[in-house]
Amino acid sequence: MISAARLPADRGTPSLAARALDVLACEWVKFWSVRSTPWTLLAALVTPVVLSDLVAFITAQSPSPAPGGPPPDPMFSSFLGLEYAVLAVCVLGVLQFSSEYSTGLIRTTFVAVPRRRAVLAAKAAVTGSVLLLAGEGVSFTSFFIVQGVLHTRHLGVSFAHPGALGAVLANGTLLLACSLFALAVGAIARHTAGGIAATIALITVPSILGLLPAPWGSRIGRFTLIDAAQQVSYLHPRPDLLSPAWSLLVLSAWPATALAVAAVRITRSQT
Amino acid sequence: MVIEVHQLTRRFGSLTAVDELSFTVQPGHVTGFLGPNGAGKTTTMRLILGLDVPTSGQALVDGRRYGDLIQPLRKVGTLLDASAVHPSRTAWQHALAIALSNGIGRRRVTEVLRLTGVDEVANRRVGGFSLGMKQRLGIAVALLGDAPTLILDEPVNGLDPEGIRWIRQFLAQLAAQGRTILVSSHVLSEMALTADHLLILGRGKLLADTSTARFLDSNARHDVLLRSPRATDLRALITARGASVTRQADGALVVTGMDAAAVGDLAAGHGIAVHALTARTASLEDAYLDLTGDSVQYRGEMTPVEGVAAS
Repeated sequence: MISAARLPADRGTPSLAARALDVLACEWVKFWSVRSTPWTLLAALVTPVVLSDLVAFITAQSPSPAPGGPPPDPMFSSFLGLEYAVLAVCVLGVLQFSSEYSTGLIRTTFVAVPRRRAVLAAKAAVTGSVLLLAGEGVSFTSFFIVQGVLHTRHLGVSFAHPGALGAVLANGTLLLACSLFALAVGAIARHTAGGIAATIALITVPSILGLLPAPWGSRIGRFTLIDAAQQVSYLHPRPDLLSPAWSLLVLSAWPATALAVAAVRITRSQT
Repeated sequence: MVIEVHQLTRRFGSLTAVDELSFTVQPGHVTGFLGPNGAGKTTTMRLILGLDVPTSGQALVDGRRYGDLIQPLRKVGTLLDASAVHPSRTAWQHALAIALSNGIGRRRVTEVLRLTGVDEVANRRVGGFSLGMKQRLGIAVALLGDAPTLILDEPVNGLDPEGIRWIRQFLAQLAAQGRTILVSSHVLSEMALTADHLLILGRGKLLADTSTARFLDSNARHDVLLRSPRATDLRALITARGASVTRQADGALVVTGMDAAAVGDLAAGHGIAVHALTARTASLEDAYLDLTGDSVQYRGEMTPVEGVAAS
């Protein structure tokens, strides 16, 4: 029999910052230790690079734009590829919470960290930082390859071009915004299939409204998540669209609103 | 550290899952939380752990609400549902993630995995684990914080006999160190061996709060079942000897306080014919079913048979 004196001693209270780092470390391990993470990230990284190269190649091969029409925005094909990473990123974002709810692991998580908003914040920080890096990586890679291809037709721009660096950086934030939006929807839906369906619907259906006849198409379309991200990176702002600063605000409002709703829902309900 | 539950109530619509429950779980004991399925055991544990909010009343751990604890895993070790794991994580990754959230290091993770016998499969994905192995992993996670309080929901579920014996001895050791241990089960025979104190729950209400020894003493009855054409005469003779007799609906007598031989001799001495004489021992299982009988929520068609099968 073991003596009664072996109870652990109280170690004192760790600081708030130390506890926040602990929760981050936990979510970091969780993020990388499921098989779906590397696969979806790979899809999110490779698809856009390949696609934007393809588009740039086609642009470079095709005859010059119709006389009188606006020249294609040099950032267009870089951005286009990134749009196709959105699907993979949405799945990854939704799974962060929905997989914990569907397996029941969320209860263990909330027993370990009863401050549920800390869990939401840590998951958002981990997923967001990885997807920001991924998005910027894709954005810069696409830019260099695409501009290299376009350069052969003297259609490209370089970093020296005013606003180019900002546009490339802004371009990369699309995946960050999508991943955080999806993560929040996953926490609200608590269901993988439902969460993915809701995320895709909320992101793509408003984009269809952009096809409404003028002026309504662009009036509504400029507030959608994907169009907002695209507007941020346009080198030649158009009068019917929002300015890059306003677009950035719209782009941030999507995940911010969803995360706020998730923060309320996550604390109010039983698990 | 004690767990205190005061007038705890949780209603789901018209269903009252936990009904003004009050009890205290003391350190130094393994307290068995016993009741049929649907009695409210898991709901009570979830309320204690802040996973659900009570309709009224409160549950405190060490005088505080669970949600107010800092690094709670160092105060309370918990096993709720051993199957609640992500199938594509390894046992090590699962335990490590939870450990890190409370500032618990890798050395302790290795230690608890070895302690529970999970170390040999630590790098395998949990999806391929048997229920027993998941249960061991769940217990390992409950032990991570070396907490002075343990709350375990059905920890023996899915364990093999060797595993059941291991956890029984292990809990006794932890209690002897002065820890507060609350273990739920719907199987009384298991709890009779594991717990030294019992909280018996039925339909969300506390039916008994007693030491296991006292529960066994007062409930393990011995009696004699007797059939006789002159039951009334015999009954008078038996009660005159100081034993007590009750008459069943079918006319049989149930004698307590006198053994079968004495009853037979007494009848023979007075020339009374006896058609049946059976010494009976009411098992603990019977006492438990008697106690919770009215409160079983999901009753099978053949309740007694199910009760035996469950043991």
